[in-house]
Amino acid sequence: MKITDLKERINERLNTASGVMTLLVVGITTAALAAGTAIFIQIYHSSMTQNMRISGEQTTEQISNIVENYMLDIDRSMESIKEAFSYEKKERDELLNYLVELRPDAVAVTEYDFESGELIGAWVGNEKLKPEIFTNLSYDRELIPENTDYYTISEPHVESLFENSYPWVVSITGVVETAEKKSVVILDTRFSQIASYIDNIGMGRHGYCFIMDTEGNIIYHPQQQLIFAGLKTENTDILKEAPDGSLESDGIIYSLKTREGGDWRIVAVSYIDEMVTDSLVSCVFLLLVLMLIVIIATLISSIILTKHITRPIEKLMTAMGEFEKDAAGFSYEPVRGSNEINSLSSSFGHMVIRIQELMAKVKNEETILRKTELRALQAQINPHFLYNTLDSIAWMCEDGRNKEAVEMVNALAKLFRISISKGHELIPIEKEVEHAKSYLRIQNFRYKNQFSYSFNVEEKCLKYYCNKITLQPIIENAIYHGINRMIDEGEIKVDIYSDGDDVIFEVTDNGVGMTEEQCENILKEDGPGRTGGIGIKNVNDRVKIYFGERYGIKIESEPDMGTRVSIRMPKIEEEYIEAK
Amino acid sequence: MKQNKKNPRLYLAAFLGIAVIAALLHFSYNGFIKPDIQRKNHKITMITKSTDSQFFRSVFSGGNAAATEYNVELVTEGPEDEEDYETQNRMIRDAVSDGTDAIVLSAVDYNANAEAVNEAAGRGIPVVIIDSDVNSKAVSCRISTDNYEAGRMTAEAVELVTEPEAELNIGIVNFDKNTENGSQREAGFKDAVSADKRVKSIETTYVLSTIDDANRGTKELLSLNPDINVIVTFNEWTSLGVGRAIDDLGSKDSVAVIAFDSNEESVNMLETGVVDALIVQNPYAMGYLGIESAYKLIENEQLESTDVDTETTIVTAENMFKPEYQKILFKYE
Repeated sequence: MKITDLKERINERLNTASGVMTLLVVGITTAALAAGTAIFIQIYHSSMTQNMRISGEQTTEQISNIVENYMLDIDRSMESIKEAFSYEKKERDELLNYLVELRPDAVAVTEYDFESGELIGAWVGNEKLKPEIFTNLSYDRELIPENTDYYTISEPHVESLFENSYPWVVSITGVVETAEKKSVVILDTRFSQIASYIDNIGMGRHGYCFIMDTEGNIIYHPQQQLIFAGLKTENTDILKEAPDGSLESDGIIYSLKTREGGDWRIVAVSYIDEMVTDSLVSCVFLLLVLMLIVIIATLISSIILTKHITRPIEKLMTAMGEFEKDAAGFSYEPVRGSNEINSLSSSFGHMVIRIQELMAKVKNEETILRKTELRALQAQINPHFLYNTLDSIAWMCEDGRNKEAVEMVNALAKLFRISISKGHELIPIEKEVEHAKSYLRIQNFRYKNQFSYSFNVEEKCLKYYCNKITLQPIIENAIYHGINRMIDEGEIKVDIYSDGDDVIFEVTDNGVGMTEEQCENILKEDGPGRTGGIGIKNVNDRVKIYFGERYGIKIESEPDMGTRVSIRMPKIEEEYIEAK
Repeated sequence: MKQNKKNPRLYLAAFLGIAVIAALLHFSYNGFIKPDIQRKNHKITMITKSTDSQFFRSVFSGGNAAATEYNVELVTEGPEDEEDYETQNRMIRDAVSDGTDAIVLSAVDYNANAEAVNEAAGRGIPVVIIDSDVNSKAVSCRISTDNYEAGRMTAEAVELVTEPEAELNIGIVNFDKNTENGSQREAGFKDAVSADKRVKSIETTYVLSTIDDANRGTKELLSLNPDINVIVTFNEWTSLGVGRAIDDLGSKDSVAVIAFDSNEESVNMLETGVVDALIVQNPYAMGYLGIESAYKLIENEQLESTDVDTETTIVTAENMFKPEYQKILFKYE
C-alpha cells in the first residue's frame, strides 16, 4: 500500500512542470557530461597513448645513442688494448693495468692463446686472481671473432676469475695479432655506465627501459635482481618477435629499437594504466563530482521552484477544481507564493466571491420567478373565488336578479379571459384595468355594495404594458384587510398615472389601515393570501424580477386612516414586448 | 516589498552554493587526487636477525626495491648478534612508539619475541614475518623458506654429493635451538635422512650463530667423532665456520659439507670443493615480498596468501655457473 502510494506520489511529482524540468535538466546534464566524458576519455586516451609511444620511441632512440657512444668507447678501449699489445711487455702491463683501473666499468683484461685457449695474461686492477681457476665464464670459444676487425659481446655472466668476488659482467672478445703470435683478448666490463643511465630513466611512475638481445635474453634490466629472484618476468617472447616501433600488450606500451649492428634491442616499458588511466580516473572523478553537484543544484532549484511556483499552482489548481465541483459551498483560502502567484490567487479569490454572489442571486431570482409564475397560474383558477362567485350568481338567478347575474357572469368571464391572456405575463394596462374593474364588480356584488370604488386612469398610460394580475391582489388585500372589517362604507380608489419614464399604479382604501410592521410583513409573506390567491409580495417580486430593484411596491398606511399601495413600473411599449 | 525581502536571500543562496561547490572541488582534489600524486606514503620498519650477513643484505636490497616501487619509507635495522632477541624486542617497541605503519620481522627467538609482536599487533600495526617465525597468532603474514622442506632438501643434497655405497656418519652443526627456522630445518633434515639406510650415526652440536663459534664447534665435533664424513649446517654464518674448519683441517675431500645460503666466501668454498653443496634461499624475494605484503596490509588490500614459501635451490659445484644458477647465487649489484 505504502509503496504504491509512494509510486503514485512520485508519478504525480514527475508530472508537474518542475518535475519535468528537473528530469530534463538532470537528464540532459547527465547525458551531456557522459557523452563529454566518453569523448574526452577517448581523445585523452588515444592522445596519451600516442604521446607515450612517441616518448617511448624517443627514449629508446636516446638510449640507443648512449649505447652507441658506449660502444664507441668500447671500440676505443679495444683499440687501445690492441695497441698495447704492440708494445713491450712492461709497457703493455702498465698500459693495461692503467686501463682497467681508470675505466670505472672495466673489470679485467685477459689474454688467451688463439689455438689452445690457455690463459696467458690477466690484468685485473685491484682484484685478486684465483690461484686456481676452475671455471672461466669470460672465455667462450664460440664468441671469438674471425679476424682482428671485429669483436663480439657476450651475454651477462658472473666474473669467475677473482677470489671472493663475483661481479656481473659482459665479455668483449677480440683478436690481436702481433708479429710473434695471434691471441684472443677479452675485456670484461660492468654495465655501470649504461646502467646508471638506464636506471635513471623513468617512463611515468613505474615505467623503465631495458636492453635485451635479439634472442630475448636480457642484457641489462634496471630491476635485474627482481628478475633473478623470480619476482618479475619480462615478456621477451613477444618482444623478440616484434619489429622496431611501438607495441601495446596487456595495458603496457613497449617501444623497441634495434641498435645498429643488430645485436641489441632497447625496450622502453610504460604502463598505460598508471599514466593514462590514473589521470583519467582523476578527471572522470572530477567530472562525476561536477555532475553530482549539477544534479544536486538542479534538485535544489527544482525544490525551490516547486515551493514557489508549482506547489502554489497546484494548490490553485486544486482550489479551482473544488470550486468547479461545488461552486456554492467553496470557501477560498488564498495561496501564497511568488508575486505572480499571489496576484493570480487574489484575482481568483475576488472572482470566486463575485461568482458566488452572482450565482446566489440568479438562483434566488430563478426560484422566485418560478414560484411567482406558479402562483400566478394558480390565481387564474382560484377555486375559492370561483366557487364563491358562482355561488353568488346562483343566488342571483334564484332571486330572479337575472340582469345582475348576467353582468356578474360577464365580469367573471372577462376576469378569466384577461387573467389567462394567452399565457402572456405582460399585458396592456388597459386590460389590467379591465381585469381590476371586473374583479371589483364581482366583489362589489358579493359584498353587497359595502364599498364603492373609482378608477382614475391617465389616458396615455393605457397603451403601456404591465404584469398581469398586478392590481387584483392589491385590491383583494384592500377588500379583505381594509374594507371588510369596516362598519362604514369603504372606498377603493385606483389611480394610474405616468411619472417620467415610469407608470405608477396606486390603490388607495380608507380601511382599517396597517401598522408599519404589518406593511413590512405583507411584502415578506410568501404564502398565498387568505383566499388562496396571489399575495402582494408576489406582485412586488414579479415587478422587481421583470424590471429591476428600483421598481416594485410601496405601501403607505396609517391605522384607521387607510392604506395606499403604489406600484412603480417602467413604461413598457408594445414594441418592447414584440421584440422580446 | 516582497521583492526586496527575497533578493538578498537568493543572493545568499547562490553565494553559498558556489562556495559549497568550490569547497567540494577543493577537497575532492586534495583528498583523492593530489595525494595519489604527491604523498610519500607509509613507514615500514624491517627488523632482521642481523644486518651484515649477505643473506640479510639481500633481504634489505629486496625490501628497498619494493619500498621504491611502492613509495614507502623503509627503515632497516637488526641486532649485531643473531642471538640478541632482547634488542629485537626493544627495536619492535621503539618502532611502534615511533609511529611505524608496519613491521617486517625475522625473529631471533620463536618464543621470546612473541610478546613484543603481540603488543605491536595489539596496537593495530600489522606484523609480517620473513625468514624466521615467531610464536604469535597476531602475525598477519608469513613469508619464508619452507624451513622443514629446506631441511629435507639438505638431505637430498647429501644424497647428491655422496657415493651411493658409502656409509654415512653425519654431523650437524646447528645454531641457536630457540630459533624457529634452524630447528625446523634440522627436523626436516633428520626426518628425511632417517630414511637413508647408509646413515650410521647422526651427531648434533649447537653453536652460536657466528663464524668463529661454528668453526670451533666443528673442530670439536670432528675431534670427538673422527668418523664423521658428512657435515650439514643451516645458516650463512655457521656455513662459513664449518667451511673454514674443514679448510683448516685439510679434510675437504674426506668430509662432505652441505651448507646454507650464499656469499662470496661460501661460493668460493663451493668452487674449491670445501663445501659440496649449498642450499640457497631467496632472501631478495623475502625482503621484496615482505615489504610488498606490509604495504598491502597497510592499504587494506587483499593478500593473495598469508603464508608464502619462497624458493629454495640446491647448488653444487657442477651447476653453480649455469646461467640460471648464476642468477640465484650471485647478486646483481
